[in-house]
Amino acid sequence: MLNTISRGLRLFAGAMIAATFVFQASAADAQSISQGGRDSGQYIPTIWVDPDGCEHWAMDDGAEGYMTPHVSRQGIPVCRRGNVCGVMNTDQFFKTNSYRISPQGHARLAQFFQSTGAISYIISGHTDNRASDEYNMSLSLNRANAVAAVAAQTGARIADVRGYGERMPAAANNTSAGMAQNRRVEIICIR
Amino acid sequence: MFKTKILTVTACAFGLTACGAGYSPDKSIDRGIFDKKHLSQLQAGIWVDPNGCDHWIIDDGVEGYLSARLDKYGKPVCSGVAQPTYTVGDFKGGSRLADPN
Repeated sequence: MLNTISRGLRLFAGAMIAATFVFQASAADAQSISQGGRDSGQYIPTIWVDPDGCEHWAMDDGAEGYMTPHVSRQGIPVCRRGNVCGVMNTDQFFKTNSYRISPQGHARLAQFFQSTGAISYIISGHTDNRASDEYNMSLSLNRANAVAAVAAQTGARIADVRGYGERMPAAANNTSAGMAQNRRVEIICIR
Repeated sequence: MFKTKILTVTACAFGLTACGAGYSPDKSIDRGIFDKKHLSQLQAGIWVDPNGCDHWIIDDGVEGYLSARLDKYGKPVCSGVAQPTYTVGDFKGGSRLADPN
């Protein structure tokens, strides 16, 4: 009887020692002790594309789902297509240095917002790189606000109005064609 | 040696230690029995946060996903599509797996 207990204890002690070795071996490649060390710590995501066309990192870890936007190191989303639905060449709507929309421009814009019918709009003004950065920031915001005012008159909902000045060029400023392309008000349609 | 092997197998069976190579690092697939799919197939709706800004929301059976809706400049999209804290769209439509919510 005593012998049996003693043998049992010895077996248990042996099991404990063996188990210690096993735990040490698995701890080497485990990221954490949770889930019995079966989580190796590497999570390779896939890409989910949202209805706007922008990418998100997505992971399924069994009964959990994870997701976060795919952005560049500058914080710019990685998108397969954009939802810019209108780019107004500001030369056609404003005189140089002015943010007053001509009557014809006003009518064209009103027609645009009436026929587009998006949930809301993000309106951002841009300039070329002539004049100072500060002046261009203010001119582009004033122009974007002028466009937003027309939109509001048609009953459109405005999500945001911004002036980016010369900081987000659409083309290089080293040709007159490039500069003309940069003088613009972009309209993003949220659907 | 033989004894150690038996103990390892037993410990594995009780979930005490690693069985084989561990979990796959590939997290791109929903391995659910009823709603198995590649995650590119997820169906989203919009959830409006208390500040009024949009997020993509997905209820995919036992997994939930939430990710910010951003415009091309990286700013939040606050479209006004619904009142803050409300949702829009059939964001539970992507999985046939029934869960309480």
